[in-house]
Amino acid sequence: MAFNFNWSPLTADEKFYEKARDLLTAALNKSPKPPIIVDDILVTEFNLGSVPPELEILEIGDIAEDRFRGIFKMCYSGDAFLTLKTRVQANPLNTYLCSKPDFTSPQPLAAASGLTIPLQITLSEIKLSAFIILVFSKQKGLTLVFRNDPLESLKVSSTFDSIQFVRDYLQRTIEGKLRDLMMDELPAIIHRLSLQLWCPDQLPKEEDPFKEDREPAVDPLASPPLDAVDAEGHLLDQSEIAAISLDGGPEVQSLFSQKNMVRLATLTDTNRTLSLYSPSIKDVMFRAWAGVTDRVDTGHNSPLATPSLARSHSFHGSATTYTFSDAGSQEHGHLPARPSLVSLNSATTGLTLGSGRNSKSGRKKKNRVVNLRKKAATSGTVSETVSEADEPSSDSASIQAPMSEPLMSTAIPEDPEPEVIPTTSSPGKVRFRSPAEQSRSPLSPSVFGQQQPSAPITLEQPKTTSSSKPPIPEQEPERPVRTADSKAPTSWEKRAGPESDTSSVILEQAWIMKMAGEIARRVYDEKRRNPGFWEERDEIPPPAYEAR
Amino acid sequence: MREFMDHITNSFFEATRWNRDNSYSELNATTNDLLNFTLPYGLRLNLSALATPHFCTSYQLGAFGSVDGSIAYLYSSVPLHGVVAQSDRIPLLPLLRSYRPLKELRLDATDSPASHSGTLLYGCMYLPRSTLQARVIRRFTPELQAQVSAVSSEDLRNGGTVLASAHFDKGIYNVEGLASTDGGLLGLRGLYSFGGDASPAGLPLTDTAEVSGNGAAALEKERIYGRFSVGGELYYGTLNKSAGMSVGGRFATLPAYSGTPLTATLTINPLMGNISASYAVLGGEHCTLATMMDFNVYSYESDWKVGMELWSKRRPGGFLLGAGPETRGSSPLTDADDPSRWKSRSFQAKMEWRLDDAVPEDAGREETGCMTPADEHLGVLKARLDQHGRIGLLWEGRIKSLIFSLGAGIDLRRLDQSFQSVGLNIRYSS
Repeated sequence: MAFNFNWSPLTADEKFYEKARDLLTAALNKSPKPPIIVDDILVTEFNLGSVPPELEILEIGDIAEDRFRGIFKMCYSGDAFLTLKTRVQANPLNTYLCSKPDFTSPQPLAAASGLTIPLQITLSEIKLSAFIILVFSKQKGLTLVFRNDPLESLKVSSTFDSIQFVRDYLQRTIEGKLRDLMMDELPAIIHRLSLQLWCPDQLPKEEDPFKEDREPAVDPLASPPLDAVDAEGHLLDQSEIAAISLDGGPEVQSLFSQKNMVRLATLTDTNRTLSLYSPSIKDVMFRAWAGVTDRVDTGHNSPLATPSLARSHSFHGSATTYTFSDAGSQEHGHLPARPSLVSLNSATTGLTLGSGRNSKSGRKKKNRVVNLRKKAATSGTVSETVSEADEPSSDSASIQAPMSEPLMSTAIPEDPEPEVIPTTSSPGKVRFRSPAEQSRSPLSPSVFGQQQPSAPITLEQPKTTSSSKPPIPEQEPERPVRTADSKAPTSWEKRAGPESDTSSVILEQAWIMKMAGEIARRVYDEKRRNPGFWEERDEIPPPAYEAR
Repeated sequence: MREFMDHITNSFFEATRWNRDNSYSELNATTNDLLNFTLPYGLRLNLSALATPHFCTSYQLGAFGSVDGSIAYLYSSVPLHGVVAQSDRIPLLPLLRSYRPLKELRLDATDSPASHSGTLLYGCMYLPRSTLQARVIRRFTPELQAQVSAVSSEDLRNGGTVLASAHFDKGIYNVEGLASTDGGLLGLRGLYSFGGDASPAGLPLTDTAEVSGNGAAALEKERIYGRFSVGGELYYGTLNKSAGMSVGGRFATLPAYSGTPLTATLTINPLMGNISASYAVLGGEHCTLATMMDFNVYSYESDWKVGMELWSKRRPGGFLLGAGPETRGSSPLTDADDPSRWKSRSFQAKMEWRLDDAVPEDAGREETGCMTPADEHLGVLKARLDQHGRIGLLWEGRIKSLIFSLGAGIDLRRLDQSFQSVGLNIRYSS
């Protein structure tokens, strides 16, 4: 799939450059300048060059007439350049005194006398490489976020190129400024512009939350699932997000309570220790609920009216959502055999535990959602697993078969995994049930922010990388919701076929169906290249897929 | 206007016989005061009191957009007995006058060291911003004085800065070293004086001067009699690896000189290619004029400034406030045009006087000056103009027991909004 960008007409337009120069000049002189710059900054030359940026579609999460969500990879190494002119203060003592209080100033007599020097700076050989998350909806405008630091390299040449340390200083400073501009300012500007374009009436309304958040790129009111960025975005600034996304983020931990961290750690450790005990975690919001609210919010299906509703209902009702990413393949055979409430893991390993679970769940008349899906799956396995998943889904239990080929392969060899799952799941019953019940009774969007569910997940990420897949039981509860993310299109599509005829998104489904193979492959490749990246953005599913 | 605390600090220096002006940083203090006086901004009230000879307080309240204020305390180990702090009695001339006549150099330290020692502590808190200023001045020996200033504020990097300096004053020469925590700045300043009273008696130059002074009084009057000072400063920021320096010289007439007092300075910054020359003349008891020229040999940038100071013996705003009866007693017309006429003539007289002996004329002028009813100076108008068309006007004076200063900054290049700032300071002290 490809887009055709018209780069040259854009750059050939003379008025465009004139306008752009004016805009840039105005923008550069708006904010108070550091004391070293003693004159206005003039943009004398500006050229976008003839080489267009390369844009690669990594994923399209949501597409419809009025909304779009996708991830792109952009590379640029063109011949664009920008020339600025200004005058700078060459006396370091002068600038030194400018920011100092008079009271402790050494008050030099003439040593601080100024010498202003005209300065010309040319920025060229700009190399950009970024993952761009683009969310567009007609109501909320266009949100563009850079997942990582887009600026790769940049050449700064100036009047002072002959002086080494001045050149280094300029290079450093300008790079830093540009990074800030790209990460913070640009998304804000684009969002504001888009609001003006598409929904001018919303502009004043939207303005306020953005100002509060100082993070216009992440729209708190926008459609809830905005990937990891949204989950943390309210608290994080862009650079932190970038850091997290890039290196799996030890920084993330500071965001969450230490206590919960410890609990989660023990919880995940139970996988390895075979301990039956798993700590209960208070005030934890799981994806499963968030999914409910999302669904209600998005209102693709009114849950009570459609057949899919029953399913969704059961799905929410099943407080214990078991997901087996690895053992799933083995268990598929069992799944159909145990149509009603039997969890997969019980079938395979922990029979006693599983039976206990069964009895309990049977008492409660609950359906389980067994989500065995993993993120990236080759199309073949996807279809297979999906078909399997469909059978149970026809039953009252909505079971999602594992989808991810790579994960299964990695996880399967790990022996303790099947055993682990029961252990975690049995406490999981307790854990998940109560929240599920809560969520069931209201079935209303009054669930807390979507950030919460993301918390345990982000937390686990470092672990997932270290121990092959211990956190799976943890993550699984959210899985049903999360399915939407990467390979979800296919699975959901299939499942939606038999069940949710009422889904309003059928058109998209068909389209997505076509794309599924391509995307899945792309996602898989990307994931192998950059696992942390995909781990993270799995956290919050888009609303469109949950509704079915 | 000199701040109250500044005034008290100055009194402390006088009490400990420390010559504050004998420093390279004060080389062009006169022209600086005339050309770069600070304009008040907004409304500001200042209440100060010298409660005991050792202790004084000052409270300030400002209102411009938002209300802010400061509380300051000062302690001096030397009793400031002779200092007049009451705003209704404080002499305006030393308080407000920009022109600083040279003080006598302390060439022989015959006094007992005890009379020179003293400590001054000063602290000031700016309220809404929570900025704290502190200063300690300690005089160790007649020649050595140390000073530490500190500012604590959250706006500053590292939360604050400290500047420590030590002054060594030997009369003829003066050396001071300073260190600042901000950027690890180190500085060295020195000043050497010669000529006039600074030259030791043994030198032939002084001999001739003495001879001429003693021998021919008329000749002495015509000669310009003053003191030369040359000095330099050097700074180095150890953390940011930046340096700065300048050298400068000054010629100033001594108070003993009976002609027109004048001060001329020339400073050169060889690193930045900046040359600055200034000239200030006390054109009479009521008028001071100053000019300054800047030129940069590297960038060919130039700058000039002129400033003046006019003293009035008339009660400020006399017409409006109905001033004193004696002022009204004299004809308002003469009152109105008298000061300017008097001043211009006085200045002319001084100029003439430099050419030939004009003592009687001066006396005549003084008499005409004395014809105005009020003996004391009641107000001063300061004005400055620079190359960029910016005018600064400051009118300072006393009404009853309040000392006020009313200032305005005008930008001639932007006639649509020419008044850049207007401010009024009112001060009461007891």
